Amino acid sequence: MKVKRILIANRGEIAIRIMKTARLMNIETVAVKTAVEPNAMYLASADIIFDNTEDNSEIPVFLDIEKLIAIALKTKSNAVHPGYGFLAENAYFAQKCTENKIIFIGPSPDAIYKMGNKTIARNLALQNGIPMAMGSQGNIANEEEAIVIAEKIGYPVIIKAASGGGGRGMRIVRKPEEMGKMFTIASKEAEKSFNDPSVFVEKYIENPKHIEFQILGDTKGNVIHLGERECSIQRKHQKLLEEAPSCALDARLRKKMGNMAIQIAKAVNYYSAGTVEFLLDSDRNFYFMEMNTRIQVEHPVTEVITGIDLIEQQILIANGEALKLKQEDVKLKGWAIECRINAEDVQSGFAPDPGKIESLSMPTYQCVRVDTGVQNGSSIVASYDSMIAKLIVKGRDRKEAIKNTKMALDKVWIKGTKTTLPFFRMLVRHPKFQDGSFTTAFIEKDLEKYYFNAEYEEMLAAWLTVKLFVEENLNDDSISIDFKHGKEINPWLLNKRISQF
Amino acid sequence: MSNDKLQKKKLYAISSENRQYSFSLPLKHTIRIGKRDYEVKLKADEKLGTYILWKNRKYPVEIVRSRQNRYEILFNDISYTFTVETPFSLQRMMVLNAQKGKATAEYIKAPMPGKIIDVLVREGSVVQRGEPVVILEAMKMQNEILSPINGTVIKISAKANTNVMKDDLLMEIKP
Repeated sequence: MKVKRILIANRGEIAIRIMKTARLMNIETVAVKTAVEPNAMYLASADIIFDNTEDNSEIPVFLDIEKLIAIALKTKSNAVHPGYGFLAENAYFAQKCTENKIIFIGPSPDAIYKMGNKTIARNLALQNGIPMAMGSQGNIANEEEAIVIAEKIGYPVIIKAASGGGGRGMRIVRKPEEMGKMFTIASKEAEKSFNDPSVFVEKYIENPKHIEFQILGDTKGNVIHLGERECSIQRKHQKLLEEAPSCALDARLRKKMGNMAIQIAKAVNYYSAGTVEFLLDSDRNFYFMEMNTRIQVEHPVTEVITGIDLIEQQILIANGEALKLKQEDVKLKGWAIECRINAEDVQSGFAPDPGKIESLSMPTYQCVRVDTGVQNGSSIVASYDSMIAKLIVKGRDRKEAIKNTKMALDKVWIKGTKTTLPFFRMLVRHPKFQDGSFTTAFIEKDLEKYYFNAEYEEMLAAWLTVKLFVEENLNDDSISIDFKHGKEINPWLLNKRISQF
Repeated sequence: MSNDKLQKKKLYAISSENRQYSFSLPLKHTIRIGKRDYEVKLKADEKLGTYILWKNRKYPVEIVRSRQNRYEILFNDISYTFTVETPFSLQRMMVLNAQKGKATAEYIKAPMPGKIIDVLVREGSVVQRGEPVVILEAMKMQNEILSPINGTVIKISAKANTNVMKDDLLMEIKP
């Protein structure tokens, strides 16, 4: 069976990304219209829109397995693409698709299950001789057990959700006194996020780099890797900027880690696109962390330097075709950087800042690719993630990629919510980012200020403030400033002025 | 008030970090950097909204809120809070600041809208700077709210399993 019509079980930029490739391959797409975002941009990319706005269910449709299967059958979709997040790594969903003769564009339910359960994945890696941080044999039941293991492997340790991913349900513990509290937090978060409170303990690698390998496998048993991405710029395990390749790897280490990634993928008969994540310490030792069995947010940087369309590969593999690419065909050319521009307030600890995008414009340089799911008038809603756009910039080498990113960042125009733009403007100017010596601890340890503003910017802001004040007060005959005694300003007048402004 | 009376008057914009910017009235549409004056324009159009044009570059601006003489504005995606003061009110402010007692309580507010998952301290608890006091869930992430100071919790307004809005008071901590 070949993929003919794909139900996109997702929204936002990734839905658009998938539909773009589907269109190029002459495959029809179905998007789901929800009551939360009835005017969302992704709907315009679909051939068929399934209207689900009348649905009163408490579970979002993109998490509702039965509903999605019913929609696929109703719209005669013979395939489902889950994107990332939502049900992308839900083995039961993949299984249900198969049972209903719907092609799940992704790996087998078995591979999703094994890699999704971190304790099983750990054991698999162990059996295959993949280097790993020391840790508990399986899940741990309580704080006391965690302390026993931590004493054995030495602090600091990290508590991780067994069914986790995406940085949730993880807590670092530096001393036994903290264990009780952190155990509870991690376990509660795990239960909320993944419906499974079980956690395990692992040695925490201090100041590592996050290096991940993109792999592609087919149903015939061929697996190749498409090089690495470095995602060390992260905050609370949430990635903010990714690049490919990584300046921490040379050809030899790349080959060694790439082969390990292939080996772990083969251990679960992996097919489709997947990512094997490693931590790399300062002595260039690497440790297997986890495998993500889906297309990732940061996949574009790999596409830019390899010229390979990962969604296309996923669909061809789902058709049952053998990989046409051999390992030696994969050439890494140039450098790519992705900035995740999110609706977050970097001045208040990256707090989400949902709202309506009043004005948006993106650079149109040749070296820039923008993946976005929003346009003027779109809303960043609190029920979904805070992503506005991914700004992907390429260069011949890392230096040029950084230079181009700096230029592109100044051409991004977003009004309506606060964004992570000032953070990236700071980052591209930071010596530790420029020389590549940053680690995952960079944001917490090396930064005093999370944003960049040129010296004169505050002065211009001050000028604007005084300008507003003057217009609101001096130009109005009914009100004047008493320079001798100060003046309480009538708030009603002020509001009137603001609305006129 | 006639314009000539204002001729030699000044207004000050005081940043939240206490940096002073002074402007003579009537307000000029130029800003001096070194020995050169650069023109600054406040503009608005349909596509970009309101912006400032300076040295051939456009900077997005927005008024976040303003109350009396206090303004929070967004300039090139960064927010700034200023109070606008006259020479007289500036002087008064400086006197008041000098008199301000040191041991005022620290008010911990919700940094974002969300749901309180857990309150980790009780009234009377002694907390260290950087110690988590509340767990707030927002956008599916659990965030630890940390105590900004060493002190004693004197009042708790946050309740587990309740929703809070941004800037809602969570607790008071006295140094």
